[in-house]
Amino acid sequence: MIGYILRRLVSAVLVVIATSMIVFLLFTLGPSDPAQRLCSADRCTEERRALIHQSLGLDKPVVEQYLTWAKGVFVGRDVSYGPGFSVDCPAPCLGISYINKEPVFPTLMERFPATISIALGGFMYLIVGVIIGVLAARRRGTSTDRGLVASTLIISAIPYYLVALLAYLYLVLKWGIFSETSYVPLTEDPIGWAGALALPWLVLTVYFCVTYARFSRGSMIESLSEDYVRTARAMGVSESKVVAKHALRAAVVPVITIFGIDFATLLAGTVFTEAIFGINGIGRTALASITQGDLPIISATVLIGSVFIVIANLLVDIIYSFLDPRVRLS
Amino acid sequence: MAMPLQEMVTSPDTDPIETPDAKQVAGRSPTQIALERLRHDKVAVVSAAIVVLFVALAILAPVITSLVGVELNAGDPSEDTDAFNFPVIGPPDNGFTWEAPLGLEPGTGDDLLAEWLYGARTSLEVASISTLLSTIIGVALGLVAGFSRGWLDRVISFVIDVFLSFPFLLGALAMAPILLNRFGGDPEALDKAQFFGIIFILTFFSWMGLARLIRGEVLSLREREFVQAARVIGVPTRTVLFKELLPNLIAPIVVSISLSVPAFVTAEAGLAYLGIGLTGRPSWGQTINQASGYFDEYALYLWAPVIGIMLLVIALNLLGDSVRDAFDPKTRR
Amino acid sequence: MRWKKLGIAATTAAMLSITACGGGGEENTGTDGNDTADNASPTFEEGGDAGGAIDMTRSKGPAPEVEGAQQGGTVTFLATSGLTTMDPTEAYYTNTLAILSQLVTRSLTQYVYDPEANNGEGGSVLIPDIAEKWESNPEYTKWTFTIRDGVRYETGDEVTCDDVAYGIKRSMDRDTFPGGAAYSNEYFKGGDKYSGPYTDGQEYDGVKCNGNELTILMERPFPDMPYWAAFPAIGPIPEGDASNPATYKNHPLATGPYMFGKYEPGISLQLVRNPEWDPATDPGRHQYVDEWDMKFTEDQSKLEQTLLSDSGEAQTTVTDESLSPSAFRTATQDSPERIDTGTTPCTYMFAPDYRKITDINIRKAIGWAYPYEDAAKASGSIVGVTRQFGTTLLPPGIPGRLQYDVLGNEGSQTDPEKAKALLEEAGAVGYEIKWPYIKGDELQEAGKDEIVSALEEAGFKASPVAVGVNQYSDFRADPNSPINVRAFGWCSDWPSGGSWFPPLLKSGGSNNYAFFEEKDVDNRINKILEMPVKDQPAAWGELDKYIFETYYPGPVYGYLGVATMHGSKIGGMKVSEVFGEPTLADIYITE
Repeated sequence: MIGYILRRLVSAVLVVIATSMIVFLLFTLGPSDPAQRLCSADRCTEERRALIHQSLGLDKPVVEQYLTWAKGVFVGRDVSYGPGFSVDCPAPCLGISYINKEPVFPTLMERFPATISIALGGFMYLIVGVIIGVLAARRRGTSTDRGLVASTLIISAIPYYLVALLAYLYLVLKWGIFSETSYVPLTEDPIGWAGALALPWLVLTVYFCVTYARFSRGSMIESLSEDYVRTARAMGVSESKVVAKHALRAAVVPVITIFGIDFATLLAGTVFTEAIFGINGIGRTALASITQGDLPIISATVLIGSVFIVIANLLVDIIYSFLDPRVRLS
Repeated sequence: MAMPLQEMVTSPDTDPIETPDAKQVAGRSPTQIALERLRHDKVAVVSAAIVVLFVALAILAPVITSLVGVELNAGDPSEDTDAFNFPVIGPPDNGFTWEAPLGLEPGTGDDLLAEWLYGARTSLEVASISTLLSTIIGVALGLVAGFSRGWLDRVISFVIDVFLSFPFLLGALAMAPILLNRFGGDPEALDKAQFFGIIFILTFFSWMGLARLIRGEVLSLREREFVQAARVIGVPTRTVLFKELLPNLIAPIVVSISLSVPAFVTAEAGLAYLGIGLTGRPSWGQTINQASGYFDEYALYLWAPVIGIMLLVIALNLLGDSVRDAFDPKTRR
Repeated sequence: MRWKKLGIAATTAAMLSITACGGGGEENTGTDGNDTADNASPTFEEGGDAGGAIDMTRSKGPAPEVEGAQQGGTVTFLATSGLTTMDPTEAYYTNTLAILSQLVTRSLTQYVYDPEANNGEGGSVLIPDIAEKWESNPEYTKWTFTIRDGVRYETGDEVTCDDVAYGIKRSMDRDTFPGGAAYSNEYFKGGDKYSGPYTDGQEYDGVKCNGNELTILMERPFPDMPYWAAFPAIGPIPEGDASNPATYKNHPLATGPYMFGKYEPGISLQLVRNPEWDPATDPGRHQYVDEWDMKFTEDQSKLEQTLLSDSGEAQTTVTDESLSPSAFRTATQDSPERIDTGTTPCTYMFAPDYRKITDINIRKAIGWAYPYEDAAKASGSIVGVTRQFGTTLLPPGIPGRLQYDVLGNEGSQTDPEKAKALLEEAGAVGYEIKWPYIKGDELQEAGKDEIVSALEEAGFKASPVAVGVNQYSDFRADPNSPINVRAFGWCSDWPSGGSWFPPLLKSGGSNNYAFFEEKDVDNRINKILEMPVKDQPAAWGELDKYIFETYYPGPVYGYLGVATMHGSKIGGMKVSEVFGEPTLADIYITE
């Protein structure tokens, strides 16, 4: 068991390192000279720019730049823009924003609660989805079941952002059924927090729960026909107990796997959710940084995003190995 | 948005391994059987008809526009729009006219039918080219990885892991400014670069699912008797790959293609909606972005591309589902 | 100064940053753009003294009450643009300047909105702020400001003359504050050598305190000093750690009626009452509302829907953004009384590179070819409201502005035939015009498309160059960029020609986008700068006409107007023509 987890950990770390290299390469191949972004031509002399260029170590080989950057991630570093201006960037230092010249990581962390809040509400779809799926599996073949299957097909076929956009335009702006969406910190005003996020949650739940309903229905049907379930039934175990104790456990395993793999999709969904509903989370910050050419924010977001995906996959694998002993042995 | 392929990779009710030799007895190939099934699937037939209609509209866009007598980007703001920059002819405000069947764009007075048709064209072009490329890459790498095993397999599997953990959308974000910087001076080159950039991004982040699937298939297929036998009698590796293995992989490849096309249509429009996709040529997502501020006062502007995407993507997805079912004897519906 | 910065590109906003291109005019010869939407069109006069008036007698606090004003409540302020640095020394965008100088930081002088000014039309007047009074020697090379007693920071500390002196030294630090305005370096004694306290230390003899008398010595005559003194940069800043540039921008110490509460840079800013602000010391500002809740980088259509709906919080909401044409249409139909229109001191010019396009006929041909109205409409402007047409470089409202029309097109008519004739005369048919535009902003691109087709129709070869929004200003400023026309907008820092010709059309001027260079013009500019102040306005107006008649640097494609909106419970909101921003200090909430 420990060996398995260790193996997965090592490969996860390797993946993160590889991703960080790609991100860094994007950064150095990036469109603008950081020195120029920090000090624009109409305000800054050529010499000063050259000085900034040098202070930032941009004249050094890419490998060395990467190592300096990577070291900063662990121990922090001082980013100097030449004499008279340097910014202390504590670990984990993911760079300095070109726009406000502040460390990127704390800025992103400030936006983090909003993103997490959306995702939290979004978790509801997992639960709702599994419940619907299980219920449908038990009523397999009835018109309810068929209706469910049909509607899941249609709903999951529509692009998510269209559903979100139309919901926002009509339910909030036009008909005023939901209040204006935004992010209100949970700690300040829990009711306002939930109120302002109600629609994004609803849209996420309706949209994504159908996929999970479909999958859990499928795997539930499969596990209900397994021998051990049949045995349990034959032994007179009540149907609800069969479902809850025996079949559900087996049925949840694939659903969790999908969730792990779906995590990247969820992240992408977050960017749309934040952009459409106007919530200042990490996704919207990254999008705004495009316009402003704030490459450090963009690359930090990409990196943080991929770390999350890797962690999610890792967790899924570990949970999976607990739920399904066969994995550990293979 | 949905990433291509993932759904099918993990779908518990799909088990393509069973497909190949299932019903050889009847003397028909699995593909023939599947097509036969599709022909009897009403949903599939209707979906296919819609898809064909869209493809026809896209291909014939220049012909249709010149028949109707509309043109791309031919608006004259001072003639065609009023003091508030709203169009003075065409629906929804001024009644239907053949001069502008879908109305004009507020501000520029450009024709929206032309924009819609060419948007469909962009959408399908991007989706089909990306699908083709990602399928080729996915199949090739999957075959190589599965067949070689050993270090090459490990390297490819690692690369797959890296790409799977790379947030696609955020990667796409970084792309836009780089292209602009490289090609900004030449508008035509920039438009081309954006077009191929989108295809590149979509391809780059979507071959992994198929590659992984193919690899798994190959791993199990290569232990089968017919492959073992071929290798024992000294059939060259290339022949084994293309003559023995590939035909057995038709089902997963077709299913994968049928599911990636709608995913790419969705993704292209999504990127354009966020303002990081195509800008130099008409794209539905771009129109939706511009039109969302007009949803109340000038709803047709928004709804034309919205309905376009919805219809096309739903039809493609339903068709994809039917294809999957047709190729997979175990599915129950 | 700079028009407030673009926030997120993916909005439907008709945001025109100073980097904006676009224009207005009409293909067909016919009605004047001003006729459209006349119920809301702002007053555009020729000449006038809007914001140019100085009234030193209004030095006693408290400020006269705004009629009907009430106390209390929270005002929500929404904007699609982001908020750039809030360090008073570096703030140089219209929105940051308006927020800081009207609500948070006091300077030597200040603008107030006076409904009686400008012959009863309403307008801004420059009055004393922290300085009770000021005077200069006849040559305008030595200015003395008398700092008033009893002004305190939010911390309770008294503001001293030395704090103001420190603020002034800070304003000379171009290395630490590259984004700020550079007037201190340009005019103050030794300003080209002294680079501020963070680079060169405190030793600078151009600014001195003698008791509460602050003396500033000039390198060259600077008659406009009282206007520069209204910038937040020319105000008190405490020395030392308290004003560390790395942190001060996140919480500049308030001397005005409001101080920083919670601030998320670029996203939101909460301003709360500053208990240390004493109305008796402030002749201009009010403290009617309890709190300002400012939100930035909002979505334009969301913002417009909020204001149009006027429900709940929206009733106490204001914005400094102009409405999009569609929202403006709805607003003029449903609630015209909640629309605020106004002018800004901003001019747009499609400026040929004077070094490259040397033939005046080609420049005039560009003037006839430019699609004034088409480009304005396509780029989301409302002709006659958010875009006014005219031919002079000085925008309406600048004292001394003189009307003239070199081409005879009223600044709005396009005539490809005339352009073609001029091109033929110059032997330059098919002449290539290369200009940069911002890629990614749909409205800008739509405007660009109109310019392309208009130029092509007139016999030019049009080659727009796509540049990202973040590189645009650099690319445009670079004299070596492979382009021969630059579109730009310029907003005056104060209502005087001195804020226009020296930076824009003097050889080596700081914002000489046209790379215009004529010895003759340089001499005339220098001569005017040395004239008595009262003679200057008329001279600037004459110079404007002279330059365009003699050299025709290129077409002016319009002036920026503001058409914004407020909630139904908001009172006291006007658009200040100095900033093109709401008169924040006068805003109150009605019952």
